[in-house]
Amino acid sequence: MKKAFDELGHYIDVTWHVIKMAMMTIIEYPSNIAGWLISNPLQFIMGFAIIKFVVESFGEINGWNYGQLAFLYGISVISHALSMIFFVQGWFMGYYVIYGDFDRYLTRPLGVLYQFFFTNINVFGVTDLIPGILVFIYGCAKCEIKITLLFCIQVIVMLIGATLIRGGLYIFLGSTSFHTRSVVDFGQYTQEIMDKSTMYPISMYPESMQFILTYLIPIGWVSFYPVSSLLGISGSTYGGLIVPFITLFVGLLMMALSGAFFTLGLKKYESAGN
Amino acid sequence: MIKVENLSKDYLLKKKEPGLSGALKGLIKNEYKAIHAVDDLSFNIEEGEIVGFIGPNGAGKSTTIKMMSGILTPTSGSVYIGGEDITKHRKEVVKNIGVVFGQRSQLNWDLRLGESFELLKHIYRIDQADYDKTLDVMDAILGIKELVDKPVRQMSLGQRVKGDLVAAMLHSPKVLFLDEPTIGLDVSSKFALRTFIKEINKIKKTTIILTTHDLGDIQELCERLIIINHGVMMEDGNLSQIIDRIAPYKTLVVEYYDEEAPSHERCEMIEHSGNIAKYKFMKKETTAAEIIADLSKLKNIKDVSIEEAGIDDIIKIAYGT
Amino acid sequence: MEKNKKNNGEINVKKYLYILKTQLIKSMTYEFSVYGNIIMQTIIMITSAYFWKALYKDRGSVGGVDADSMLTYIIVSSMLSVLLITNVEKRIEMSVRKGTVATDMMRPVDLFGMYFAEDLGGVIALVFQNMLPILVIGTLLIKVPAMADISALPLFVIAVLESFLINWLIAALFGMIAFKAGSIDALIQVKKHLIRLLSGSIIPIWFFPAGVSKVVSSLPFVYIYQLPLSIYIGKGERAEYIAGMQIQFLWLIALAAFFFFIRKKVTRKVMVQGG
Repeated sequence: MKKAFDELGHYIDVTWHVIKMAMMTIIEYPSNIAGWLISNPLQFIMGFAIIKFVVESFGEINGWNYGQLAFLYGISVISHALSMIFFVQGWFMGYYVIYGDFDRYLTRPLGVLYQFFFTNINVFGVTDLIPGILVFIYGCAKCEIKITLLFCIQVIVMLIGATLIRGGLYIFLGSTSFHTRSVVDFGQYTQEIMDKSTMYPISMYPESMQFILTYLIPIGWVSFYPVSSLLGISGSTYGGLIVPFITLFVGLLMMALSGAFFTLGLKKYESAGN
Repeated sequence: MIKVENLSKDYLLKKKEPGLSGALKGLIKNEYKAIHAVDDLSFNIEEGEIVGFIGPNGAGKSTTIKMMSGILTPTSGSVYIGGEDITKHRKEVVKNIGVVFGQRSQLNWDLRLGESFELLKHIYRIDQADYDKTLDVMDAILGIKELVDKPVRQMSLGQRVKGDLVAAMLHSPKVLFLDEPTIGLDVSSKFALRTFIKEINKIKKTTIILTTHDLGDIQELCERLIIINHGVMMEDGNLSQIIDRIAPYKTLVVEYYDEEAPSHERCEMIEHSGNIAKYKFMKKETTAAEIIADLSKLKNIKDVSIEEAGIDDIIKIAYGT
Repeated sequence: MEKNKKNNGEINVKKYLYILKTQLIKSMTYEFSVYGNIIMQTIIMITSAYFWKALYKDRGSVGGVDADSMLTYIIVSSMLSVLLITNVEKRIEMSVRKGTVATDMMRPVDLFGMYFAEDLGGVIALVFQNMLPILVIGTLLIKVPAMADISALPLFVIAVLESFLINWLIAALFGMIAFKAGSIDALIQVKKHLIRLLSGSIIPIWFFPAGVSKVVSSLPFVYIYQLPLSIYIGKGERAEYIAGMQIQFLWLIALAAFFFFIRKKVTRKVMVQGG
């Protein structure tokens, strides 16, 4: 027990130091700061505007009105931002596999996956977080939500779960590179698929696809199911107070499974040839 | 200190055909070929040894050193460092090793060198007193302190290698792995690096394993050589032992006053042109002095010189070229 | 050196063709990434198709386009996106960051000509590897993406060629910011989002409110995706296409002029400062 705490303390210490280094790196490239400050909010403001245009052209989407869509969008963007801060490196795992960049993590006395994600922590993800929170607050206001303690707990729990689901997915996709020995830069693709399946209600899609998004690639749990239950929207298979906790559970499960898949892949790691 | 048992590593290699049609074919059909990069290696290394792995490119020496440092998982066999299996207890075992791999740096490119050291201090939980002490020692050998505040991206290759060496030694590992450490370095950087290796080996009793193609490295550093080719161990021993084994002969070159050259029963004349004759003799059977004495009784000798198999001959023979 | 180059015009073309061919072979060798890309693009295309199907549901025509045309739009947009992959901005940044610009520019091949040949080679490889498979998959799983009016085909082809050039020039111009800024990771993202959202590649601009749509139409991005796609699905009159293509052509000229101007400035700066 004491050893576990000691270990945890060590990881926290390293994490803190790594965050400090990330900050210093940011300051080294001021032009990047401006770039990210424009790029990330721009993306989500435009994305949000597009939802508004779509609703204006087509009316409600599968029974979801504009306020509810804003709420859904907010949750989707916040969990996206969190996954960008902690797990964005997963998008580039293929390059690490091909160029042998896991070498240095393997020769240090810390978890490989931990080092992979945290020594590359992306502090700039915060620029995604802010528009997400703004839209989320806007959605809350539009839906006239009463902020209670339970509501806050549910939101936090499902955001953690949603972030883990996304992270797990990135790890899983990235780990395929150990087996294929090639790089698929799937970041942009993932983002596009995620946008369509977490920013809009998946109930608009045919049942076969809903089934896939619920049980096989559990993206439905990132935003659709928990938000449906929070907003009391019918038409979702899953309802009730417990749903945000299911999201957390699914997130943990995803992490465990993709972590195992990663470990399996690491055994096949070949470093870089010479 | 290090025990390697029946270590093997197989790769599946994709056969690639050349040209555009080959690339098109590759899209549809793939053929794989298993290659044994490392094939059943076993050896022991004692504390404080400096061991050089040599062999031609693709011989399996990098693969071996990467398995020994926990980067690659062996197909079969095991590596024990300080009695513990590195594949099974990676996180524990790697606390005792340091690694510098060729031109791949573990330093943070964008920040000053000192930041990379600080991070390692946290990762290896080095306490401040030890950290300062180690840095003092490193400064005495490499003059690292004047580089600490320089951003890594502004450093020359030589400076960066110095930085990487210190980074690998900060936690005072018992074993240091170096994969082609001197590649691409200028003469003075090479010298600094070799001095460093010898010094830490002496001061800290660090066991050092290195791969290299550099004859200077081998001559100056390696008390023991392991020659690998096609994934198999060809030779294991110190330089002179290996020379005795692979090239147990010397060549005596004799210049006479005319074109007539006598032969000798205990050696073989391998070349004769003009006034010069070359005799090859086995070191075990006779000595140069003996032969010269015998020959000079037969004819007047103008000049003699002895050619010994050197390290480059060893390499040539061992590499099979 | 300039004079020399002109004399060796023929050899030069061969040089670029060689670069193009090398890149072609290079792109084809990583076959898993080929399949991985196709799978991902297929998933995106099908998701988009369902997305539009669900939006249209019982509605006949929205914004002057019916569901069927919208599905064609999606398939052809997916195919077009394959043609619009560029690498030039990354290449420029790498060359600046590694500090090899000066030596790269000194080489007997024009640096930007080389990047263009590389991108073109990569795209030609992708036509076979990704675009045709996407066409087949889209046809089988969604619908036959038939052109609304086949007589507009020449217009469509020209519009696509121009959109390829416009897209490449924008990428190259963003890449050149690297000479000033060093790192352009974030700016590349800005460019990506601008094109994604303002070119009509995902959501056509005609769904935007009139005012917004007008502003967006005055930017070059709609001429990358939406113009050729509109011609393909037959949205609007032929006169509108011609008018659109005239603006597209003006954008192409303007961007090309701007590109050559910046290139000259940058080249001079690098030659003087030695990178």
